Amino acid sequence: MSENILVIGGGPAGLNAAVMLSELGVNVALVERDSFLGGNPKKFKYKFLFPDMQPADNVIGELIKRAESGGNIKVYYSSEVSDFKENGKKFDAVIKSASGSETKTFDSVIVATGFEHFDPARDAKYSYQLFDDVIDIKDLERMMGENNFVRPSNGKPPKKVAFILCVGSRDRHVGNQYCSRVCCTVSVKQAIEMREHFPDCEAYIFYMDIRTYGFFEDLYWKAMEEHDVQIVKGRIAEITSGPDNTVVCKGEDTLLRGPFEIPFDMVVLASGMEGGPQSPEISSKLGIELDEHGFLKPENVTLSPFKSNKPGVFLAGACTGPKAISDSITEGAAAAMNAYTYAVKNR
Amino acid sequence: MAIEKHDKENSGGGRPVAEKGEHIVARHLIEDDNIKEEKNLVIDGVDVSGRWNTFIISRVNSEFDRSFFEEIKKTVAGSRINRCWQCGMCTASCTVTPLYRRFNPRAFIYMMQLGNLKELKKYIDVAWRCVGCYKCSQRCPKQVNPAEMMEALALVIKKYFPEEVKTKLKLDEEVKKIYEDMIIGHGRLDLAKLHTYAIQKSGRTKELLGKIERDAIFKMVKDGRAFSVLRLGKPHNWSSSKEAMENYLRKLNTIENTEAGV
Repeated sequence: MSENILVIGGGPAGLNAAVMLSELGVNVALVERDSFLGGNPKKFKYKFLFPDMQPADNVIGELIKRAESGGNIKVYYSSEVSDFKENGKKFDAVIKSASGSETKTFDSVIVATGFEHFDPARDAKYSYQLFDDVIDIKDLERMMGENNFVRPSNGKPPKKVAFILCVGSRDRHVGNQYCSRVCCTVSVKQAIEMREHFPDCEAYIFYMDIRTYGFFEDLYWKAMEEHDVQIVKGRIAEITSGPDNTVVCKGEDTLLRGPFEIPFDMVVLASGMEGGPQSPEISSKLGIELDEHGFLKPENVTLSPFKSNKPGVFLAGACTGPKAISDSITEGAAAAMNAYTYAVKNR
Repeated sequence: MAIEKHDKENSGGGRPVAEKGEHIVARHLIEDDNIKEEKNLVIDGVDVSGRWNTFIISRVNSEFDRSFFEEIKKTVAGSRINRCWQCGMCTASCTVTPLYRRFNPRAFIYMMQLGNLKELKKYIDVAWRCVGCYKCSQRCPKQVNPAEMMEALALVIKKYFPEEVKTKLKLDEEVKKIYEDMIIGHGRLDLAKLHTYAIQKSGRTKELLGKIERDAIFKMVKDGRAFSVLRLGKPHNWSSSKEAMENYLRKLNTIENTEAGV
């Protein structure tokens, strides 16, 4: 008799967990709220992934292909876990989808519900959604993915673009004190892509700290040394409109000491990551802990970052905090191993 | 070693002395405060008046004075000084900085953190320019509350440099008038009014109603954001507070007038 394991969420972490479990001969139920697999990278059409600029399809597309061709995975699209109960060491879950509800017993559960992009409209000073030419990194990623890199206001290619880091991250004012980890690298990557494909478009990055941790630092150096991306130290406090249909970034150059108001054709906000509404929802449904940042809380952040406080329920990917796609994939595998061990022990 | 300093009057004439630091090559590179020179000085009976005792104090900072930081931290307004990480959001938001570039809340807070009174002293004339719009405090990602930190700064400057405050400190009378009118008239700061004033003063009125602004205003009216501002009334029981403030101001004026002998 083979094990039954429930995986909630079909992003990079959930997909990899499902694929690994399927290879072990486990029957996997993969519950996905959207009508497609791939999570945020698919939803927002990420095109190239850092650090090596490989096509996102190589990673996300490959995972989806493996999940779809893996014989032991049953994917429930546009569905959710509507009810969840412990049953001894096992779990009874009701999976609700368009075609009706299905109750099943699972040996263990992997939660990979992921993150939500911070909505920059919540931080009014950046005038997101008020000015057409103020977009955020996920919008730019989609524009690049669709080969449609133009100013939303007039459809012309921009000549001068500003990237603003730490939007919705490291900011008590918006309620997120943590660093979202990847936005610096994503912004630097996008600046490189932009300069590669549109060499006459200048790129400026307004930063407080640039946190391209580990080897991602290479991208930061490359952006400056090979693509002449200019970095400016200072946070932007206001975005207003300027002459000739420009958007003006008002800030302080903290190195030169003094205010500036510079017009740009387009502003890209490096919006961070949030636990989203799904994290508290799944936390109360499954009876697992939520942390003070709005993400799911691991049992021990260092020893077992992939375990929840409830035995048999495991965590993977960005649902426990902001992280890169590679980290999510690694955690998917780690959670799969642990979920499998738990299932076999309590057979 | 016997060091005698004389006032010029008491030195009984003496030989003529040069102006402070006059003979230093590249004098423009050195600030007045960094030149130590006694016009009349006798060491061990040797007269080294004037250029003979010229000494240039090191321009390299050799100390972080933490006691000053502790002092600020103990005050109510400055209690969050340890939170500031110099991102510049306050200066970037500031209503005053575009008018007076030397007024820089971020730099002031940094100087206070490091106890650099020597540097702070150079900004006495602009130190009290904060109009209290609180945009910095609203936007500060660390909630340092820079607006009130400026209040702490003003008090500190008054304590450490009372003489300079008397002679150098300048108030922007126009801002003071607008500020008083707003507080007494409405019980609240009217940001729109402060802004209009600042924009008028810098001669950029055209920017106020560009196409993007009009669209943005339309959107804000449509989704209701614009009206939330209008719903703010006067503070509770405002008339009695207003009376107390007016009395206070009247009293203050009388005292000032008496002091000035009017």
